[in-house]
Parts: sequence; structure tokens; C-alpha cells
Amino acid sequence: MSNKALAAGLGNCPQCHKLNVMHAEKQTCSRCKTVFCARKPNSIEYTLAWTIAALVMFIPANIYPMMVFYTLGKPDAPTILEGIAIFIQMGMLPVAIIIFIASFVVPLGKIIGLFTLLYNAKKPTKLTLKQQGKLYHLVEFLGPWSMLDVFVVSVMAAVVNLGFLTSIEVASGITYFTLMVVFTIFAAESFDPRILWDNHQKQHHNTTTPDKEYKNTDEKYHDK
Amino acid sequence: MSHSSINNMLACHQCDSLLPMPLLSEGQKAYCGCCGAALFSKKKDAINRTIAVAIAGLLLLLPAILLPIIGIGAAGLYNDASLVDCITVLIDTRNYIIAFAVFMFTIAIPTVRLFTALYISLCIKFNRTKPSLLVFFRSYHILDTWTMIHVFFMGVIISMYKLSSLADMTIDGGLFSLVLLLLCSTLVSVTMDQHSIWHKLEQALE
Repeated sequence: MSNKALAAGLGNCPQCHKLNVMHAEKQTCSRCKTVFCARKPNSIEYTLAWTIAALVMFIPANIYPMMVFYTLGKPDAPTILEGIAIFIQMGMLPVAIIIFIASFVVPLGKIIGLFTLLYNAKKPTKLTLKQQGKLYHLVEFLGPWSMLDVFVVSVMAAVVNLGFLTSIEVASGITYFTLMVVFTIFAAESFDPRILWDNHQKQHHNTTTPDKEYKNTDEKYHDK
Repeated sequence: MSHSSINNMLACHQCDSLLPMPLLSEGQKAYCGCCGAALFSKKKDAINRTIAVAIAGLLLLLPAILLPIIGIGAAGLYNDASLVDCITVLIDTRNYIIAFAVFMFTIAIPTVRLFTALYISLCIKFNRTKPSLLVFFRSYHILDTWTMIHVFFMGVIISMYKLSSLADMTIDGGLFSLVLLLLCSTLVSVTMDQHSIWHKLEQALE
């Protein structure tokens, strides 16, 4: 468990993944000239701030309508959840499920996932390290997919424009939704998954005898 | 630790474990033994393939942006929209934040990313490495997260499904260009061998 780059005074460049000898806390990578630290500085604080900002944006995104639907001059402005209810009533279940997942479950899941990761970075939980790593990977992967609804609404607003007969206008909810998605991507970017492993190692060292542990891993790596 | 031994080591970007640099043959992929994260892979004929795919993508860029994607008709009226129309409609209705986001994620960033991939591959192919390539390749890494053509395409599909119940819907050339552009943009990240490009840049600039 002690076989970490940080413990050996080395740092991994976040851009080109080149291993550098850390002479100072902050230094330029010898290969790609990025200025970096061995760990992203204040990673937890930044992630927490972006996640809270995303959570705040999630509320108006669900209260305000996503788009205004004009049929024969009569406006109809459903919010995300109302829009899904309309689709279910119209019998378009597949679209309702996709929209529900992409614009409600995924953003909320991402915010919950980020909070879970932040909690894990502070206190040990039942989740194993591999599960935490996978959770981070999932949050990172899902990032762009929540933009789905924004693109749907902007395409619909551009295409459905038949004057008095029927037209769609973009409403204010979508702006908050876009901001929320961008904030969650920033949150995932500012989170440093290596903190999870650092903490685990710290806890491990407190409970077991460090010397023995060190020898074991050393042998293992020498064999390789 | 000496300088030579550090070049034969790498640290996992997810769990920071120190690992010996694996020697891969073409087509193999290395994973971290500690946390299972993908470290890097060695790809076949990476430079030539990236050049081919990036050129194809850049050629498709204009039709994908300018040609109408889908159109609807009802009661003798007809309207269609291209990617640029989507953005101008958003600007006209004063939704500047969304207009900016859509423009960045579907036009600006994919374009810059394709250009960057092409430029770097060409420079390496013809042995014309210069320090400015480092900046280009670093920006390529950052832009990777923000390319959203695939999500936009999914959005178009859902819109089509929604519109088909509303009015007569037609598919235009923009959609085909968009599909092919999406294919090229995805293939660039498949063919691009980031690890070996960094390695080559390092050797050439030293």
C-alpha cells in the first residue's frame, strides 16, 4: 500500500501522465510544461463548491418551464417533469423514459454521486475503493450526456417554427439546466480521485503495522 | 531516484500507485493492477489513421453545420433547421448562455479538436516537431471532455421521434453529414495514440 508516487516524492503530470520528481510543491512538467501539483490543490473544496452550485441550479431548472409550446396561438409551458407526464399520456413511453433518465435521474444521480465521493474522501464508508473509483468514472462519463435535453429543446425550437399554426420557444428553465450541467462537469474535473486512495492508506496505516505492510508490497513489486 | 529509472516508471492517474512501465506490443492495453483504471494503450498505425480520419472529419464539418438537419411540414407550411439555425434562433430569443453552450460544445470545440489532432499528427509524420506542439496537444486533452457531438446527435434523434407524431418530418443532408462527422470525431479518439505521441514529442524536443 505504500507504493505510491506521492510517498516516493514523485508526481504524475495531470496532462501527459509523465512521472516527475517533485522538487517543489508546484512545478512544471519536464515533458509538457504544465504547471501542476502532486495533488490538485483544494480539490475537495472546489468540488464541493461546484456541486452545491449545481444543486442550487437544479431547483430552478425543475421549477421553470423548459420550452413554451404554441398551438394556434395558445401557449403551453411544461417543466421537465410535466413534459414527461405529457409524453406518458401521449403513449410515447420510450421517449418519456429517455428524457426522464437523461434530464432528471442522471443530473440528480451525478450530484448525489459527487456528494458521496466527497463524503468518502473525508470519512470511511462501506464502499470499497474499486467501487469508489468506478463511481468517479461513471460521474465523469455521464458528464456530457445530461446536455441531451438542452440539445433537444434547441433543435425543437429551431425546427418547429410554423408561424401561427405551431411553434416552440425556449423558456428560462433550460438556461439553469445548462448551467447545472456545466457546473457538474466542473465539479467532476476538479475532483482528484487519488485523495480516496490517500485516505484509505492513512486509515490502513493506523490499524496495521506499517513496516510489515511495506515489505510485502515491496517484494511483490520486485518480483514483477 | 535517478533520471533513467523514473522514465521506466509510471503512476496511475486514479490511485497514484507507482508501477513499472509496461512494454506493450501493438493493440495491447495496460490497466492499473491496484485500482483497475486504464493506463494507456499502444495502437496500430496511429499517426496515419488519425490524419485520415481528421481530414475526413474536417471535410464533413461544413455540410454538418450548414445543411438542414431535419424539417417539418404541416398544412402547407414547411420549415427546416441546420445546426447554425439552432444557434441563431437561440440568439434571436436572447438565450445567450444556451446559444454559447451549444456553439462551443457542438461546433467550436469539435472543430478545434479535429484541427489539433490533424496538425499534431502531420507534424510528427514529417518530423517537424516544435515546442508549440506541446500547447496544442495539451489543449487536445482538455477539449476531449467538452466535445458533445454524440449527445447532440442523440438529441436530434429524440427530436425526430417527438416531431414525427406532431407533423410530417423530413430528414435532410445535414443529418447524414452529422452522423459521419460524429463517426470521425469518435474515431479520432480511438486512433490517436496519446501515450506514444507524448513520448515522441519528448524525444524530439530534448
